[in-house]
Amino acid sequence: MNNSTIYKRKAPLAVFLIPAFAFMAVFLYYPFVRNIVNSVSKISGLGTASEGINTPWYKNFVQLFTDEKLRTAFGNTMLLMLFTIVFQVGIALVLALLVDNIRRGAGFFRTVYFFPIVISATALGLLFNLIFLYNGGMLNQLLLDLGWVKEAIDWKSEKYYMFTMLLPVMWQYVGFYFVILVTGLNNISPELYEAAAIDGASGLQRVTRITLPLLHNTLCICLTLAITGALKVFDLPWVMMGQGMPMDRSWLLGTYMYQQTFNVGDVDYGSAIAIVLVVLGVAISQLANAIFKEKEY
Amino acid sequence: MKKTLALVMAVAMCGSMLAACGGSSSAASSAASASAASQAKPVTLNVVTSYGGDDGNRANYEAAYKAYEQATGNTVLDASETSNEEWKAKVNTDFETGSEPDVLFYFNGVDSNKFVESGKVVSIDEIRAEYPDYAANMKDDMIAASPADGKKYAVPVNGYWEALYCNEKVLADCGLQAPTADTTWEEFLAMCETIKAKGYTPIACSLQEVPHYWFEYTVYNHGNTANHTELPAASTDAVGAKWAQGLNDMKALYDAGYFPVNTLTAGDADTFQLMTDNKAAFAIDGSWKIGYFQENAMDINDFTVTYVPGQGERKSTDLVGGLSMGYFITRKAWDDPEKREAAVKFVEMMTSDEVVSTFGATAVTALKNGTTAPTDADALVTAALAMTKGATGIAAATEDGLTSEARAALFADVKNIVTGKTTAEQAIDACLAVE
Repeated sequence: MNNSTIYKRKAPLAVFLIPAFAFMAVFLYYPFVRNIVNSVSKISGLGTASEGINTPWYKNFVQLFTDEKLRTAFGNTMLLMLFTIVFQVGIALVLALLVDNIRRGAGFFRTVYFFPIVISATALGLLFNLIFLYNGGMLNQLLLDLGWVKEAIDWKSEKYYMFTMLLPVMWQYVGFYFVILVTGLNNISPELYEAAAIDGASGLQRVTRITLPLLHNTLCICLTLAITGALKVFDLPWVMMGQGMPMDRSWLLGTYMYQQTFNVGDVDYGSAIAIVLVVLGVAISQLANAIFKEKEY
Repeated sequence: MKKTLALVMAVAMCGSMLAACGGSSSAASSAASASAASQAKPVTLNVVTSYGGDDGNRANYEAAYKAYEQATGNTVLDASETSNEEWKAKVNTDFETGSEPDVLFYFNGVDSNKFVESGKVVSIDEIRAEYPDYAANMKDDMIAASPADGKKYAVPVNGYWEALYCNEKVLADCGLQAPTADTTWEEFLAMCETIKAKGYTPIACSLQEVPHYWFEYTVYNHGNTANHTELPAASTDAVGAKWAQGLNDMKALYDAGYFPVNTLTAGDADTFQLMTDNKAAFAIDGSWKIGYFQENAMDINDFTVTYVPGQGERKSTDLVGGLSMGYFITRKAWDDPEKREAAVKFVEMMTSDEVVSTFGATAVTALKNGTTAPTDADALVTAALAMTKGATGIAAATEDGLTSEARAALFADVKNIVTGKTTAEQAIDACLAVE
């Protein structure tokens, strides 16, 4: 049996493809279509059947434009996206460049920076809750003992909430992009650096003229993942800043959708927010792909 | 050889004939026993309750249903979970899809309206037509009727009360004593001022997460037991005005600085930690919170529970509480001849005087004989028993009359009311618009 015969017989391919497709159809495509139907229906509670189509059917979509909390959630999500690009990918890039230039201990740093990824976000949320706790939290105790502050700081107040929410999120995923970028750096031929060194290029010149241009495609992947990933951030902010505290200022699209669906019981409006998330995700990932085009080398 | 073979065959034939005769009698007896067995054939009951994982009564519930299994030979397939919105959704879905359990321990208010309206649960009257002694140990007046049709469906176990937990160590340091049945609201405010001046937090409460206990009592203080559960049609009607006054009282407490500094950003656990750390004096919570103090207090004798000081028509001894949950028998189990009796016996055993007493002697009860007080009661339990004994009135929580959407909208606005970002009237109207 030659290769051409193998590829002519499609039945074995179908045997392997159909179960995965069926799985996707049941657990992804059907719920997605159902979600669209739900967003125009009237559903009075979680677990209850639809009472028919909303009057008018686009009621929830009108509400999307008038809902102040959703506007806050949208703004915060966009801000999170920006911070993700600058801090998650940015810090990961700096760390990757530093680790790439050391001769010993690269493996150690790879493990150390990647470690937060393997801890559950819920556990991290509880951990950071203890760090930022008002009464007896680690940070407040430290600041008070050092005499840098006279009174404990409410890290979840309107003044500090953004820092408190974003810091753990940024910290958690730096390691993820770090590992991708280190792998990208490993693919750059050492001969190029050797040739540059012979030509008298400085360390900075080697980074700007060799490393960054050749890391372009890896960076594009990281940026696309970071931008689309920012839309899905939910668990850490939910554990730390539950119910949009303080004063409904910290909502993200993910946390607000969950709140509406599971806590408030407004299932149809929650479905409409889910559609916004999907549309945004598709639009932004297309935009990111257009901006960060991969280059052929 | 042939003779021997013939003899063996003859013996074997006689033996088989005798066996056949004997067999017919034993077959007859086994048929009879099979028929008897079919009458009392062990069945498997599907049961769903809220006595799930971390519920304080989980161990009592398990012991009770295992005793039922031993006594009847039936098997209980327990699918209990902790009560929350997701659990309610799961129960709703089970009913929607025809996968409801045989026996359900669930809320008897608006949450179960859909089961009642769709005829999926059986009323106590219908069960009593066949089993006259069903729930005979309960005071009928205290078994809540369904808001859907006014009939009674759920046999209650232990009810709940909401009251004022006090840290007596903090109070003593401030030269005060816990409020009594005679303490007025004004006296309570004066106590809070003294406690604040001494550097303690007067009231441990997260207005961000659990403002509803204070909402109940501040509203109750502007009404009475008879009208506490009435819902407003607008913020301008009498009930709406009462709610607005209650919410404004909460704002006054916030403005006076009686809540924790971080009440708008702290969780319930954080604020209750202030109580057990001896940093706060008062907290309103339910009967279920006794377990928290028993587990977390350095010395349980430092804590007591008492009436929330009243004003107006409400006496301090009037409590918020009731019997909001009970055992339902589903139509599915009732119509199954094999399961009907098993389900009835299960509910009877789970709501017997002995079992109910183990579930919470301090709680509000519908038992005709009352609950039996535990012999090893600590200071907090003793105080709770004295408090419930001295109660002059009991009203269900008014928030229970709201849909979950309206409830969420109202309580999410409490932080806006106390900070002046919205008015109590606007928040009530917004809640009613959702309702």
